Amino acid sequence: MSVLFSGRASGAKANRISALRRFLMFFVHHFRQALASLGELWRTPTASVLTIVVLGLSLTLPATLHLLVKNAQQISGSFAKAAEINLFIRDTASAQQIQSLITILNADKQISSVRHISKEQAMLEFQEASGFGAALSYLTDNPLPDVLVVQPVNTDPSAARALMQQLSNERIVEFAKLDLEWLTRLEAIVGLLQQAVFAIALLLLSAVLFIVSNTIRLSIISKREEIEVMKLVGATDAFIQRPFLYTGFWFGVLGGLLAFLVSEALLWWLRGAISKITDLYQSDFQIQAMNLTEFLSIILLAVLLGVVGSYLSVRRHIRAIEPAGP
Amino acid sequence: MLQFDQVSKTYPGGFVALERINFRIAKGEMVFLTGHSGAGKSTILKLISMIERPSTGRVMINNIDLSRLKRSQVPYVRRDVGIIFQNHRLLMNHTVFDNVALPLVIEGFTGKEMVKRVHAALDKVGLLDKQRCLPETLSGGEQQRVGIARAVVNKPPLLLADEPTGNLDPELSRDIMQVFEAFNQVGVSVLVATHDLGLIARMRYRTLTLKQGKMINDGLMPLQEPV
Repeated sequence: MSVLFSGRASGAKANRISALRRFLMFFVHHFRQALASLGELWRTPTASVLTIVVLGLSLTLPATLHLLVKNAQQISGSFAKAAEINLFIRDTASAQQIQSLITILNADKQISSVRHISKEQAMLEFQEASGFGAALSYLTDNPLPDVLVVQPVNTDPSAARALMQQLSNERIVEFAKLDLEWLTRLEAIVGLLQQAVFAIALLLLSAVLFIVSNTIRLSIISKREEIEVMKLVGATDAFIQRPFLYTGFWFGVLGGLLAFLVSEALLWWLRGAISKITDLYQSDFQIQAMNLTEFLSIILLAVLLGVVGSYLSVRRHIRAIEPAGP
Repeated sequence: MLQFDQVSKTYPGGFVALERINFRIAKGEMVFLTGHSGAGKSTILKLISMIERPSTGRVMINNIDLSRLKRSQVPYVRRDVGIIFQNHRLLMNHTVFDNVALPLVIEGFTGKEMVKRVHAALDKVGLLDKQRCLPETLSGGEQQRVGIARAVVNKPPLLLADEPTGNLDPELSRDIMQVFEAFNQVGVSVLVATHDLGLIARMRYRTLTLKQGKMINDGLMPLQEPV
């Protein structure tokens, strides 16, 4: 395209290259520039490695915290007992009424299981557990009620509470009790952790943005002379900035890989300590590593940070460099 | 081809570099631009290559007023004007071939067509055998010729040269001027800024003379009139 000489064809158009070939060349060209930028990183190893390490480690912290939160959520999920609903049956209810209620509850889709603890069973358990064994035998009759232990399908506190409300309306149910406090507390803690991770991630990621942007700025300044020459022979800003954007891209790819490796290593290192804790609670808890989606998102996020950080710098500084003249 | 129409340029701070300059250069014409340093030679070249914009007046290339062009169009103007710099302005960590290929790469040339053109340009300045060298291993005259090859590789209709023979001995200067004449003969308009009056006297081309921002002579220099 020539602004001044309308008849003067130039570049690819002058060569009469077919549209398909130009389309292919576009990718070949970008691929080449991507490789060239990778080579450029290789030529300035110190600055590149420092930036990649900072990017990688800054991403490691949120990534690891995310994995911990994910695992904590899994633990809280395994404590489904917390959402058990205890239905205390009226003394007046007959064994038949209790049986029919169990049948009804078993048929309910919101309930995964129902366990019946009869008065007698409850008394035995209480005698064993409380240590009042001898004293209790002085009681003339059994003061404990029949209890139905209902396990809801949805252990989410609000859902469990709704179910409890519904069940307490049953005629033979004296009252229903849900051990919610503990579950809500755990969920609140996990929620707090999640928000903390989010806030820390946000802070770190914006720091990363500035670090990448600054590295690219230094790189632009060190190539000032070259950029001036390119502008003098007719390079557009878009042409000049492309290699720098690719540099940011590589920062992202390599930093993301580093973050992945370090957070996996951290998790592996913590595995021993975590399994000791979970053994104490006799849970068959398996620590979960990063899955493919999480891996891809961390790489994608890192690349995004690299490219955006680079773009912030490139936009301002390449425009600002103007050749001083012949 | 190139036209200055009442062009003045005042730099920030009030220094008047050019004062109501008028001249035209026809297509395929070769013209010298001379004057003492500070007379405004560089400013004229800067206005043509859109490094600076005029304070008043119009600079026209091919009847298009440069002041009407947007910032984003500046690179495209520079592709139509080959510029040769006094200090060469080569990319020192790239080979001669890469330096000459740069304008073509910018325009989107690739592969064989690019190689063909680069070789043709290097051949014209006699540096085909040095294409794999780095510029710093070349002499001053050779670097200057690399700069010329880069300026002409995309066949611009207008060629500007700023002191192209600045630090060269007379023999080399003559060689370089012959290269310019060769381009001029194939229809390229050439504007050479120089203070080498001996060179101007020998070559006998139209000469624009500047003094303190004013045009004091347009035509053959008086001292070179035939006896």
